[in-house]
Amino acid sequence: MNDFQPIEARPAPNQAVGFVAWLRNNLFSSIANSIVTLLVMGVLAYYIPQFIDWAFISANWQGTSEDACVKEGACWVFVNAWSYQFFYGSYPAEEVWRINLTIVLLIVVIIASFTLPRHIRLKVSIGAWLLLPIVGIAILDGSWLGLEQVSTDLWGGFTLNVFMAAASIIVAFPFSFLWALGRRSQMPFIRSVSIIFIEFFRGVPVLSLFFMGSVMLPLFFAEGTNVDKLIRVWLVLIFFMSGYMAEVFRGGFQAVPGGQYEAADSIGLSYWQKILLIILPQVIKISMPNILATFVMLFKNTTFLLIIGIPEVVQTLQTALSNSYWLGGHALEGYLFVFLVFWASCFSMSVMARRIEHKMNTDKRD
Amino acid sequence: MFKEKSVEELKSAARRTSSGAKSGAFYNNPRVRGFVYQVALILGLLYFFGAIIGNTLANMEATGIKTGFAFLNASAGYDVLMSLISFEATDTYARIFVVGFLNTLLVSAIGIFFATLLGFLFGVAHFSHNWLIRKISLVYVEIFRNVPLLLQVFFWYFAVLSSLPGARDSLSLGEAIFLNVRGLYLPKLVGGDYSSLVYLVLGATIVGIFFLRKWAKKRQELTGEQFPVLKTSLAMLILLPLLATILTGFPFTLEYPALKGFNYFGGITIIPELMALSIALSVYTGAFIAEAVRAGVQAIPHGQTEAARSLGLKENKIMSLIIVPQAMRVIVPLLNSEYQSLVKNSTLAAAIGYPDLFNVFVGTALNQTGQAIETIFMTIIVYFIVNMVISFLMNRFNNAVSLVSR
Repeated sequence: MNDFQPIEARPAPNQAVGFVAWLRNNLFSSIANSIVTLLVMGVLAYYIPQFIDWAFISANWQGTSEDACVKEGACWVFVNAWSYQFFYGSYPAEEVWRINLTIVLLIVVIIASFTLPRHIRLKVSIGAWLLLPIVGIAILDGSWLGLEQVSTDLWGGFTLNVFMAAASIIVAFPFSFLWALGRRSQMPFIRSVSIIFIEFFRGVPVLSLFFMGSVMLPLFFAEGTNVDKLIRVWLVLIFFMSGYMAEVFRGGFQAVPGGQYEAADSIGLSYWQKILLIILPQVIKISMPNILATFVMLFKNTTFLLIIGIPEVVQTLQTALSNSYWLGGHALEGYLFVFLVFWASCFSMSVMARRIEHKMNTDKRD
Repeated sequence: MFKEKSVEELKSAARRTSSGAKSGAFYNNPRVRGFVYQVALILGLLYFFGAIIGNTLANMEATGIKTGFAFLNASAGYDVLMSLISFEATDTYARIFVVGFLNTLLVSAIGIFFATLLGFLFGVAHFSHNWLIRKISLVYVEIFRNVPLLLQVFFWYFAVLSSLPGARDSLSLGEAIFLNVRGLYLPKLVGGDYSSLVYLVLGATIVGIFFLRKWAKKRQELTGEQFPVLKTSLAMLILLPLLATILTGFPFTLEYPALKGFNYFGGITIIPELMALSIALSVYTGAFIAEAVRAGVQAIPHGQTEAARSLGLKENKIMSLIIVPQAMRVIVPLLNSEYQSLVKNSTLAAAIGYPDLFNVFVGTALNQTGQAIETIFMTIIVYFIVNMVISFLMNRFNNAVSLVSR
């Protein structure tokens, strides 16, 4: 008897795998598809080299003033020369370490809330998050710490967008939690007050809220009190955000199985023990993707501050574009740059939200 | 331990705890607590609003602003860039309110129309068999969803539309449509003697198509025979008004925009502010709608597609007859909120000077009269009402597309 002789494995059919097959399946599967592919490729082949030439090859990179832009491509010198203002606004250059320090603190707190040992993680990170806006204001303003005071008129640029968004969502967090609880409450009056509050701040254009903050809110304070404009707008953003986040949390509360509430009741926990120790951690975990999505929305909406004259990054760009030394029409370069900065930050947060969602969706994984 | 207590004792202890609310201290009773909490909230709110109103009245008195709506009848004294009804600078604030409201409705309607178009186009493109089309859909959604709307409005307005050529070297399409830095100029249809008759025929045709669809659906349900509704209605829509036009002897003339001096006159002018805002709103909201469409289509089990294929339906029929009608149940509620946020986002007109309600009223009128509370609340209420109308219509539509169990 012969030994078993395996026959040679046949090569894979070149119709089904490999580059050509991929092309055939995905680009040229039918006549109509082939026409579409060729058309799209033609358009791309026409415009992409033009764009690359404009943005990179014949672009101007070196220099400090408009005179350096001699080639016909993009004038990135403009972005380079104004990059400090785009990021830090009119914040004095010798004090800029304070902004950087605040950003480092923010990053440290973010990392800490994922990496601390489990038994202290929740308490320490919640404490750190809630302290962060106050510490941030103390560092940036400086008068409480005995540093030179930097007036809020000088705050600006992209870091102001980040600061406003982060400070608003952090302070809005506990409030929105209370509003969501109120909306689920059995007490009719508390429930209706919560519904009116939430629906008001969700239903109103955010721009009119900013106008309220800048024009109407001063009328509400007692005569003689003068509240900083940035703080007024911050207040408005907190209200706006707690309306939206309350709905996010309400979704989270509904997603926690009823058995969790009953189990907490049956071991004799009080209402607040039940909510804070059993329900809240689960709600935060479930709502995390939506919290991130809401934050992205808030972050994009901070550009609206321009309308009431707060020098956030787009306003800074507008100022730079109308500067008398830079009248060469660099709108495209400027907008593309700010476009890119916002896109990079918002897109990475969206990707993170999707990843968390996917990770939690263990039952639906395909 | 337990043995020392009698059964009776245990029972009475159990009774005591189960009716603990009654026998315990009154402040442990949930009803009493609820009542106390709510009274506290009411008192707190009353104090809060009382303080606010008191402060506001005192502040307004100090600055000499009269409260009330008397300012609405005063002459506004400023002109608006664009108005759908006749408007002069001497007209009242009330009329400016209407002008702004109509402009808001216009830009919202244009935005909703094109956003829906773009959204469905790119949303369905996500499921194309063509790899390039799929990737383009993805790139569109991820780019325009993740960049602030204000930046997009500015991009279109300052970087794209303001780099268009001047009036003398306008881009033109067949010497009828002109595009330059001052705006888009379209020919205008001017009706003559019998033109109302043609409009009447057009209206009657639309009503006719509506009944035709009803009849065709009923027939299909009764007999199973299909009627080519789309082809028939398209033919009706084109041929009947055309016939009426020929019979009445072409009562229309086209008014072409013509270059006089430094600009085009005549025809329909679409100002660049309106263009930039509409483009930005449509592209931005379109990306969200595309995402909603994608989510809706993905929510349909794959078995539906396979079943349709095994019945021998063509690919485009599978999409339009099997997948999209079912996906609408997921899409419509999302569309509802996207439309509402589009209307709210149209307030960004203030950034580029398109005279929408927010810009002319909360912007200019507030500045001139100082009536902050009245103008802001009048404007807010309008946005609330518009959004409620959208919500109402979309809910009606949602009921129409939701699953009907037979």
